[in-house]
Amino acid sequence: MEYLQCLYAFASCVGFCILLNVRGQAILWTSLGGAIGWFFYLLCAPAQNDILQYFVGTLALAVYAEVMARVRRAPATGYLHVALLPMVPGGGIYYTMEYGIAGNTEMFLETGMHTLGIAGALALGILVVSTLARVLTLWGEERQRRAAPRGR
Amino acid sequence: MNHEELVNVATEAGSLLLRSGAEIYRVEESMLRIFEAYGVPDGDVFAIPSCIYVTLTTPQGAPVTRVKRILNRSVNLDLVDRTNDVCRRICREKPPLAEAKRLLDGAAGRPVFGLRAQLLGSPLVGFFFCLFFGGSLLDACVAAVCSAAMRLLIAGLERYRVNAFFCNLCGGAVSGFLTLAAVLLGLSVNTDTIIIGALMNLVPGIVITTFMRDMMAGDVVAGLIRFSESLLVATAIALGVGVSLVLPRLIFGV
Repeated sequence: MEYLQCLYAFASCVGFCILLNVRGQAILWTSLGGAIGWFFYLLCAPAQNDILQYFVGTLALAVYAEVMARVRRAPATGYLHVALLPMVPGGGIYYTMEYGIAGNTEMFLETGMHTLGIAGALALGILVVSTLARVLTLWGEERQRRAAPRGR
Repeated sequence: MNHEELVNVATEAGSLLLRSGAEIYRVEESMLRIFEAYGVPDGDVFAIPSCIYVTLTTPQGAPVTRVKRILNRSVNLDLVDRTNDVCRRICREKPPLAEAKRLLDGAAGRPVFGLRAQLLGSPLVGFFFCLFFGGSLLDACVAAVCSAAMRLLIAGLERYRVNAFFCNLCGGAVSGFLTLAAVLLGLSVNTDTIIIGALMNLVPGIVITTFMRDMMAGDVVAGLIRFSESLLVATAIALGVGVSLVLPRLIFGV
């Protein structure tokens, strides 16, 4: 039942694809990233630590984005941009603001810090995968370059 | 070869990419690759989200420089995709510069989803995010209506070139007011999930992905610019919703 959320994430990503002008078959593949991210988030629920869950989810969707970028020969930008949106802590930002208005400074700070932590986890996940992808690409190019003269 | 023409073609490609929300390193690399493809190895490009500076030196030793200001930016992932394709094709086939220009114009002329499609897309986002955050079906319908109203308002404001901060602020306020109205009418009870669902429409303005990728690629200036933009958008959204929640409390004392 919980996994129904993945379907919701997928559907809302389709909406974002329209707003961000993704066209054609790419809508399907791009939105799938959002569902994959949330699936891995839910998969890590036994860890009881939602920052870790967000981190793993982001890792999964970033790997998916880089793989799809290679497979479909399109920039990873689009896949990452849309797929990350369900992970953005909209709820956290909202509750932080609500506590701020209510004058509940303690909860305001606590929720705010937690939201910042989630944003950090998202950023870190993307950073790790993008860096690895870049290193692997450069490594592959170097190997090809070195192999080419020998092959002749 | 005509170096002025080459600078123009490369700048056109770069500005298309930058305008539609590509990362800085993609913009700079694409332009440098075009230079290399046409046999100019020593071009210099510097891009930030709002401007591209490009210089190359002709064989006679005279520098050719162009500054391209990017005023209107909106995320258009299809355009990033197509322009990237065209850049690769230009580098691979090295067509005459007039032909390259024509290819780029073709990419720029691709259709964009109009307001009608957007009015279909944003309720979809609001509806499913409300469910996603645990709202009921009725809540989701209210969120969809809020999203559509918000999109319509923002489209109207953008036509009069109101700045992004104010657009987001108004968007947040409208979704808050409409939700409160729905609650007063007895349509639903979960103010939180409805507002969060509707607000997710504005979240693409918070470009965590792009600025992290910029920072990581070493474009710290560009990353900082985008980071401040994200912070402004987040503040505007929060302020807008805050206003809509506080005002009724002040007036009606609810």
